[in-house]
Amino acid sequence: MRRLVPAWVGVALTTGARRVLAAPGGLAVGMAIHVLIVGAVSTLWRVAVEANGGSLDGYDATSVTWYMVLSEAAYMAVSSRIIEDIGDDIAGGAVASEMLRPAPVVGIRLAVQFGASLPRLVANLVAGGAVALVTVGGPPSTGALLLALPALPLAAACNLAAAHAFAGVAFWLRDAGSAWFLYQKLIFIFGGMLLPLQVVPGAMRAIAFGLPFMTMAYVPARLGSGHVEPQLLLVQVAWLVVLTAAATATFTAGERRLQAVGG
Amino acid sequence: MRGFAATLRGAFAEALTNRRAFGAQVALMFGNDLAWCAFWVLFFDRAGNLRGWDGTRALLLLSVFATSAGLTLGVFANVRHVGQMASDGRLDAVLALPVSPLPHLLVRQVRTVNLGDVLFGLGLFLVAGDPDPGRFGIYLVGSLASTGLMLGFLITAGSLAFFVGSGETGEAGFHALLLLSNYPADFFGGLTKLVLYTVIPAAFVTAVPAKLVDEFDPGLAALLLGASAAFLAAGWATFTFGLRRYSSGSVWTQA
Repeated sequence: MRRLVPAWVGVALTTGARRVLAAPGGLAVGMAIHVLIVGAVSTLWRVAVEANGGSLDGYDATSVTWYMVLSEAAYMAVSSRIIEDIGDDIAGGAVASEMLRPAPVVGIRLAVQFGASLPRLVANLVAGGAVALVTVGGPPSTGALLLALPALPLAAACNLAAAHAFAGVAFWLRDAGSAWFLYQKLIFIFGGMLLPLQVVPGAMRAIAFGLPFMTMAYVPARLGSGHVEPQLLLVQVAWLVVLTAAATATFTAGERRLQAVGG
Repeated sequence: MRGFAATLRGAFAEALTNRRAFGAQVALMFGNDLAWCAFWVLFFDRAGNLRGWDGTRALLLLSVFATSAGLTLGVFANVRHVGQMASDGRLDAVLALPVSPLPHLLVRQVRTVNLGDVLFGLGLFLVAGDPDPGRFGIYLVGSLASTGLMLGFLITAGSLAFFVGSGETGEAGFHALLLLSNYPADFFGGLTKLVLYTVIPAAFVTAVPAKLVDEFDPGLAALLLGASAAFLAAGWATFTFGLRRYSSGSVWTQA
């Protein structure tokens, strides 16, 4: 009988998680950077909220701080250099050698990276949560925060799938470094990582809600900032299916090109 | 000096080999920087004038940041890898050459994608910086001082790998400086503000040059130039002394 989930998925997931846990120094540095980022961005927004009478588009100092904790935790769970690294692997021939394995290249890569993102998620949540507790106290709603817990790994999964689809440009350009910068900024703005989407003007907000980037930061952040909106989890699942299909299609087309280049 | 210039020329020639990819990368970097412009415009549009900062001054800050970060990470691309190369023992190639190792190492690799930042920073200043000869001169000198400061800080943070044995300090320093340089230092208070002017000199990288363009203050300008020289000297000293502790990894690559 065929297994519903291939055996390599579990192996790849645990491999990714173990790699991160095997380097506690890297995890600690990541937490320190996370504290800096959450500290800086939440300060910016608290200054803005206070200057506007204590509330800005429905966010007060506490909710906007927890928004930043969750949005940064989700975004930073995925290696910031993943697109660059995939591009280097494509240009350097690592992907070509991975094609010899009896499993899809993109599938293994997604599973390994998702496994690696889980310890980072926990570490980021602890570090960012500590910043919020010190500056504004506990979360606005425990129930909403509980809803944000499944939204965090879903956000990382959506981010990884989209990153692989984006990094596929390296099959054609031989360098995905610039794609990484652009992709990152799309999450910053349209993903609601740096600013709650409620702050964005009407037409732009409508576009942001129609794009997949909002699943990668906005959804967990919106939930964690005290808004009980469980339908957002369904939006994440739907986009995850679409993005995984896009990543698979990009790699399938790119791998054919690699074969052609290699003769 | 001739060796340095020849290495730089070679690195540029290598980087510009694929003109089509270069054009695409510069265009993508423009898109990236425009997103930051969008953020600041949206932020100040909603939040209003805060602690002396508005959208226009934030764009000025961004133009200084794009120019100096583009020069640092584009022309001196290896500065980001000093720590990793030191801890992995990948400096053998440069040590065998009859040139000063640090300058050669820094210009050995040019990263074209960041050159797009330099063009963008310059363009943004000309479009949104209310340029006149005086302001342009301050912007130019401020951006160069900021480049020196960023370079010095990143060399120092990376060279700590000679002493602690891990390149993670350099990577952490890189992220911290770039991240904090994006924000106006006046938003922070107390200990954080002190850190931004000393240990992680993000305020000198962007906020001070941007402020000088709008309100020139000779004392502040001297402080910026002094900080830039001090960090460059610290970078040089940390690398030079650290090199005595270097042990080869028998790898002959990026250096």
